[in-house]
Amino acid sequence: MAPVDIADSVPYSERPEWSDLTPVAQYENIQPLAPIFYNPDYKDATDYFRGVVKTGELSPRVLDLTETIIRLNPAHYSAWQYRYQTLIATKSSLADELILTNELTRIYLKTYQVWHHRRLLLTLLNDPLPELPFIEEILKVDVKNYHTWSYRQWLLAHYNREDMWVQELPLVERLLEEDVRNNSAWHHRFFVVFERGGADGEDTVRQELAFVKEKIALAPNNLSAWNYLRGILDHKHLPYSTQADFTKLYVVSSIALNEESVVDLENPRPSKGAQLPSAAAIEFLADVYEAEGESGLSKAVELWRSLADEHDTIRKKYWEYRIREATVAAPD
Amino acid sequence: MSWLPRSTPIDGYPTKTSDLQSETEDVLVSHLPREDTPPVLNKNPHLQFLVRNLVQGFPARYTSQDASQPWLMFWTLQCFSTMQVGIDPNNKQRAIDTILSWQHPDGGFGGGPGQAAHLLATYASVCSLAIVGRPGPKGGWDQIDREKIYKWYMSLKQPDGSFIVSTVGEVDVRGIYCLLVVAYLLDIVTPELIAGTAEFIVSCQTYEGGFASASHPYFAAQPDEDASPHCLPFPRPNLGEAHGGYAFCALASWVLLKPFLPEGSSLNINGKRLLRWLVYMQGSEIELGGFKGRTNKLVDGCYSWWVGGEFALLEALGITGHHDRSESDAHTDGNDEAWADVDAFKHFTDSLFNRKALQEYILCAGQHPAGGLRDKPPKNPDAYHTLYCIAGLSAAQHRVFPSQARRRQLEEAWASDGELNDRLRKTAFVEALSWLEEEGTSKVIGPSSNRVNATQPLFNLTATHTEGIMSHFYHQTVPRWIPTKAP
Repeated sequence: MAPVDIADSVPYSERPEWSDLTPVAQYENIQPLAPIFYNPDYKDATDYFRGVVKTGELSPRVLDLTETIIRLNPAHYSAWQYRYQTLIATKSSLADELILTNELTRIYLKTYQVWHHRRLLLTLLNDPLPELPFIEEILKVDVKNYHTWSYRQWLLAHYNREDMWVQELPLVERLLEEDVRNNSAWHHRFFVVFERGGADGEDTVRQELAFVKEKIALAPNNLSAWNYLRGILDHKHLPYSTQADFTKLYVVSSIALNEESVVDLENPRPSKGAQLPSAAAIEFLADVYEAEGESGLSKAVELWRSLADEHDTIRKKYWEYRIREATVAAPD
Repeated sequence: MSWLPRSTPIDGYPTKTSDLQSETEDVLVSHLPREDTPPVLNKNPHLQFLVRNLVQGFPARYTSQDASQPWLMFWTLQCFSTMQVGIDPNNKQRAIDTILSWQHPDGGFGGGPGQAAHLLATYASVCSLAIVGRPGPKGGWDQIDREKIYKWYMSLKQPDGSFIVSTVGEVDVRGIYCLLVVAYLLDIVTPELIAGTAEFIVSCQTYEGGFASASHPYFAAQPDEDASPHCLPFPRPNLGEAHGGYAFCALASWVLLKPFLPEGSSLNINGKRLLRWLVYMQGSEIELGGFKGRTNKLVDGCYSWWVGGEFALLEALGITGHHDRSESDAHTDGNDEAWADVDAFKHFTDSLFNRKALQEYILCAGQHPAGGLRDKPPKNPDAYHTLYCIAGLSAAQHRVFPSQARRRQLEEAWASDGELNDRLRKTAFVEALSWLEEEGTSKVIGPSSNRVNATQPLFNLTATHTEGIMSHFYHQTVPRWIPTKAP
């Protein structure tokens, strides 16, 4: 979406209500290196902004001026900062400001400043509940936007309200249903389940393991899901060997999977379209063997070798490093 | 092309992520290096692109970076340094005057004249002055108001050891990295400044191994506003997933803060998990070995530096691809004199990532035919991607590591002036300058004219520029380093 068209609007230099303010040119006594060729509207507005900053004026017309600048360049952090200070000084309605910010967030979702401005407003408004559906709306535009996610996570941690937390897992599940490779959604799941503080006992761990294994079965080469599996185990200090049986189903080649066998809910089998072996599974199993110590070492080395030479050749140096590290560390 | 690399497996289960990935692979595959023609770094068109921006100016579409003018300057100047190009005295002076016009009367530098001081703008301004500045009147260095920067820094400090990037600004590890680099360069590191900051950095590491933008210090808004907030014990919740840019800033910050941890401190990042995550950021052969910034995202030339540049930083944590570690350890047993030999003894070293493939990504996909470098084809080039592709090329060509021999030489040469914090200042000085390029192990893909300069991996400045500005502010003479010959 394009910024609002202000081509028709009158420049600040021609507005009678601004005639009392002296605009300040950006570079006055020097010939700058690496200047930007601004269009006249932007130059006009920022000249007046520098004039305002110089006099320290905090007034309603400054809100108009900073909005103009923000719409022309939403990354102008000084305009945002000055706008916030003006809002506070003029005791303006922050609820109205949030409505405007909703619009600006939709248009400029990729800028740091619009999200931080929101956060400042929310901190004062203390009404976080309507934020959750709003953020979901923004996620529909860009489901991996970093700022959107970190804002949502801030909101949850900052307010720490049960009526907010309960909405999170259903959201994550919807998003993973749409795209099981969405790493932002996986991270959010980890945040919600394990970083909330408390409430991650044995039942939770069992549930999460079942959930992630089912997702791995769906697309066994999805690194996001494997990383989540590792995340659970590392976080709870559980040995990787607890998942060895599951992993072994994914290190074989597809052909070996023809035979039907008893459905094992703990260890879901790879889906029909799976491209096996999964390099991530090989890596995982190698870690299992490495942890066994001397007895597992040769099996681990063999798996790393197969990654280096065949299944994950771009990381050859890394797999060779793992072999060296494991063999040097092992007792003779 | 006789051989085509494998596509990323989609397990018969396409999603939006795998669709985008496949589309990208379809584009990248047409840029695969050709066996008959070695890839060439087209230095001349790139330099023309940079000179045009610098001298004539940036076109109107760069208005979106009006609040990042110091970055436009730094990206351009540092490209020249890395590509071994000097700047004439007239333009140097113009650069200095321009940079000084961004200095805020209350300390720090802003994104342009009259803009509020910002941690990121201050990094880019001070690093630009490290490149073009000099001591004395109008030289830029002595016009930096260090005391005001320090006071301003302290005003940005938060109870959890982090810093906001500007007055009423946000907290993230980019800001902390930028603050620490400037504090190192300008000799304004103090125990008060960095108290709690290492803890904050550690708390940003995610379960994947990379780092998030920030962490949250406490659950729930303070019920009593007057009560001092209690930070959560580790782990604190991460704000955002593991990300290459934040991981660079966090790891570099950690390396900068580590020397100041109290003796016996158990605080640490998980280096093993970080290394694993970093190597997974390298795209496969069909992606030409470029780096991505997050799991299941696309490769982008800028991560050549943000991720590719982190492997050198890992050397400071003792994580290295260098093969004969056990032998060099044996040399150091109670024998200080052996240190000089140890550095030279590394007759065969290698990296933990695919240095060759990264160079091929930058050369074959990163270069725009009309000059300048980019995210990926068919995108247009810009100043940001031009620097971080070139810096990534440098990281892939050279091995730069903290040398024990150089460290010892710098420690011996340190002239104490009895100032408060002498030990701490000495540590900062020695830590920053002990990084050396390993002789004889650079690996340049294509003709030797593809070679670019090595950069100091903590600051992304050349060793010469780092030494120049630091010797000035620390009032020290940097001893000459004479590399010992490999046996």
